[in-house]
Amino acid sequence: MKQRPIRWSVYVGLMPAILIVVFAYLGTMIWTVGISFTDSRMLPAARFAGVNQYIRLFATDRWLTSIQNMVMFGVLMIGISLVLGFLLAVAIDQRVRAEGVLRTVILYPYAMSFIVTGLVWQWILNPTLGIEKTVRGWGFESFRFDWIVGQDTAIYCVVLAGVWHAAGLVMAIMLAGLRGIDPDLWKASRIDGIKPWRFYLHIVIPVLRPSFISATVLLSLGVVKLYDLVLVLTGGGPGFSSDVPAKFVMDYLFQRQNIGLATAAATTLLVTVLCVLTPWLYAEYFRRQTPKG
Amino acid sequence: MTTHHTSEGPSGPAPRRIGPARLGIYAFLLISALFFLLPLYVMLVTSVKPMAEIREGGLFALPSAVTFEPWIRAWSSACTGLDCRGISPGFWISVKILIPSVIASILIGAITGYALSFWRARGANLLFAALLLGAFLPYQVFIYPLVRIYSATGLFSTIYALVLTHVIFGLPVMTLLFRNYYAGIPIDLFKAARVDGGKFFSIFFRLMLPMSIPMLVVAVILQVTGIWNDFIMGLTFGGLANRPMTVQLTNLVAPTEGEIAYNVNMAATIMTAAVPLIIYFISGRWFVRGIAAGAVKG
Amino acid sequence: MSKKYRSLWRATGLMLALIQPAMAAEKTEVLHWWTTEAQSKAVKVFADAFNAAGGQWVDNAIVNGDVAKPTGINRIVGGNPPTVMMMNAGKQFGELADAGLLRNLDDVGSAENWKQVLPADVLEAVSRDGHIYAVPVNLQTPNWLWYNKALFEKFKVQEPKTWEDFFAAADTFKAGGVIALAFGAQPWQQHQLFNGVLAGAGGRELYLSIFRDKKPEATETPEFKRVAEVYAKIRSYTDPGTPNRSFNEAASMVITGKAAMHIMGDWEKGEFSAAGWVAGKDYGCVLGLGEQNFLMDSNVFIMPKVSSEAASQSQALMAKIMLDKDVQVNFNNLKGSMPVRNDVDTSGLDACSKIGLEVLKDPSKQLAGPDWLAGADMLNSLADVVVQYWATPSQTPEEFAQKYAAVLEQFQD
Repeated sequence: MKQRPIRWSVYVGLMPAILIVVFAYLGTMIWTVGISFTDSRMLPAARFAGVNQYIRLFATDRWLTSIQNMVMFGVLMIGISLVLGFLLAVAIDQRVRAEGVLRTVILYPYAMSFIVTGLVWQWILNPTLGIEKTVRGWGFESFRFDWIVGQDTAIYCVVLAGVWHAAGLVMAIMLAGLRGIDPDLWKASRIDGIKPWRFYLHIVIPVLRPSFISATVLLSLGVVKLYDLVLVLTGGGPGFSSDVPAKFVMDYLFQRQNIGLATAAATTLLVTVLCVLTPWLYAEYFRRQTPKG
Repeated sequence: MTTHHTSEGPSGPAPRRIGPARLGIYAFLLISALFFLLPLYVMLVTSVKPMAEIREGGLFALPSAVTFEPWIRAWSSACTGLDCRGISPGFWISVKILIPSVIASILIGAITGYALSFWRARGANLLFAALLLGAFLPYQVFIYPLVRIYSATGLFSTIYALVLTHVIFGLPVMTLLFRNYYAGIPIDLFKAARVDGGKFFSIFFRLMLPMSIPMLVVAVILQVTGIWNDFIMGLTFGGLANRPMTVQLTNLVAPTEGEIAYNVNMAATIMTAAVPLIIYFISGRWFVRGIAAGAVKG
Repeated sequence: MSKKYRSLWRATGLMLALIQPAMAAEKTEVLHWWTTEAQSKAVKVFADAFNAAGGQWVDNAIVNGDVAKPTGINRIVGGNPPTVMMMNAGKQFGELADAGLLRNLDDVGSAENWKQVLPADVLEAVSRDGHIYAVPVNLQTPNWLWYNKALFEKFKVQEPKTWEDFFAAADTFKAGGVIALAFGAQPWQQHQLFNGVLAGAGGRELYLSIFRDKKPEATETPEFKRVAEVYAKIRSYTDPGTPNRSFNEAASMVITGKAAMHIMGDWEKGEFSAAGWVAGKDYGCVLGLGEQNFLMDSNVFIMPKVSSEAASQSQALMAKIMLDKDVQVNFNNLKGSMPVRNDVDTSGLDACSKIGLEVLKDPSKQLAGPDWLAGADMLNSLADVVVQYWATPSQTPEEFAQKYAAVLEQFQD
């Protein structure tokens, strides 16, 4: 155990963090949750309305669609990014040429903002400008690639752009994991004559479990916060078919001036995240763990 | 995950000959690389084409007559509504937001991490737990009350509001980063400084901060990228006067009258992406370290 | 203070001359979202008149109304309000008035005799519990059909009066390879088009039973079914590029002859004028296909409560100036809308405005716009349903009616 003397200057040093937690996190959170139980519209009102906002929220098609989209986006984006990122890491790990260039090329999207990502994919996927127009220009007049204007397909465009943005991150994490695997394991497998794919499937993937968990956690953070990308890529449309909860809340807060419903939606998100997070955080940080290594 | 046997080189089986498997790997990597490069390619070539070429050949053709006029327009004369000053005002506003935000958020994060690692304070665990939660919660929970607080205090749509916001939401990751880093510093070093009569702040500024250079570099990379790429905070709190570059970009490319100037829009987009991209290209492995450190891990 | 305002001007790029050295009048910050060329010119009429009368107009134009409105409201609630702010007439400012945040304009209203010179419906739309809280500056209706005259002559198509005429004309254009209807499928445009169909194809009784009486059973009538069918049918006469197209892009499709017709509010004329088009010569206009109604809508300005007496006087002056006879004519000529006063000289109006004025004279054709009858919350929820219907060709009129009724059900009070 470290020696931990008590000094007032410690509290001075911690004061910014304490103020931020008390006012900016807890205070605002309580305020938001509080408003969600009133019938506030444009202005916060003190009239208690019970769970009316929540009843209305879950009767709103647009909210249900946005939840569904978030789940779909989360599952697909994380799933595809993990698979693609892992495969890329494995491929790069095969003593390929120009490894540095490849790593740079695959990871650079992660440095771009979602705004830039969304804009550029919106142009590429725009049927009258991007891929569809180009392929038709080659003479394939009946070629169609108009996911972005399709009611049922627009969300896949968001997934596509999300994977483009995040797969490099997974690759980087996995590659670091692969490079950390005990070289003796490789030797042993070669001596035993185990086929490479079996080796990866049954030995490498289990060993890389912590890397998979880190990557999944990092990507899921992005899923709940998903806003900018949808805003510029599809605007939540056509209609509201590619809307997501964060955008729903922002729209109802600011454009629709219906803060009661917006805060109810925000609270719902909050509770969902807390339910998922608390056990994980507890296990990760506060339980005495068995020695690592 | 701590690993003791870190081999620097690739660990896959050594290739014997160029077989079909080998070709497959290269094909896979090549196709993937094209997929990742496609958007950058599209932006670059389109930004130097005249509009006539874009209409004729679409986005993917190589430019036949290279022009830098779209870049000049995007920087200094493209219009958003009636405002025809290009994207450059947004660039400078982003710089003005970035510098104080990065310094303040890293400093406060480092002090908090330091206090949590070496000193005992009542409720420190609780504070840490609350900070961790803050890293994960959706911004939408905090945004409305913050707007109201900033409006009431006259901070709304000022640089201060944005700096404060970036400090607030940057704190969890920064704290975590430095807490983990300080956890790796031998406690005896700290004890010796205490014996020499060091106080809380003097130990931090004289001993710990100079020792944290590697972590500071990582933190700077992380924060510069994150704050530069921010959109939602700038949109919500920047008001009219302090829209960062990302927000101005979305306004600039919003379709208005007549033909959409894709070349200008793409030039403006590249400019907005330039700062994090340059950081990424020059920092190389540090960037990866930054991500790995930002990956919330114990 | 002055530094902050300087940056505001720089950001908007709209610097208006406002040097009044003798009076050193209180700066009057006006927050609005009229930023297209035609709109800016119109706003300048207000600014010039206000400055000439001794005020000091500080322009705060924000490009997007969806951004401007919440910004202003947050400042009003936060105690740091603009002196004057643009709004929509109807229910929108009601909550602010109820919370005691708006200046009561009864004094200006009675001094300027607003009861006599403003239509009763308009006066009601700017009042709350019998008190006036906003200054209406114009009258407009969103259900105009604008068309390219050259194309109509080329295809020998008669001006449509009913929806049947419209579809017949549209078939001709479609067969001739011209986009029949220019359309931008942004949510507000979709909802506006739908409400026009509701009034025109459904009739005023149906319209009122929905927006005023909020009767869910109104959606079970044959009239509503017809509205739903007409609206869905319109879809097949638009081009695939509609998603997220702005109204002025759609207008330019008519101007360039890519499309033959466009259904939009009076402000469309601003775009036509900017292209050098003349009403009745280059473009024609039909007010309200089917049953003819003027769906009254009005832009208004609200005056948040301010502490200083000088600012309050500036607000009174602003209210007076905005409804000045000459200012009304000049402003509305540039804006493309109709003066809200009923005692101004209308001889200078263009051919289309004259049609509008004629219709407006008939009380049986005056119909309060949706904003005047229902809250933004309900209208936005209805818009969601309409937008979804448009985007889902497989949805039947019956399914649509059910969803529409479900929203009305939520707003029974």
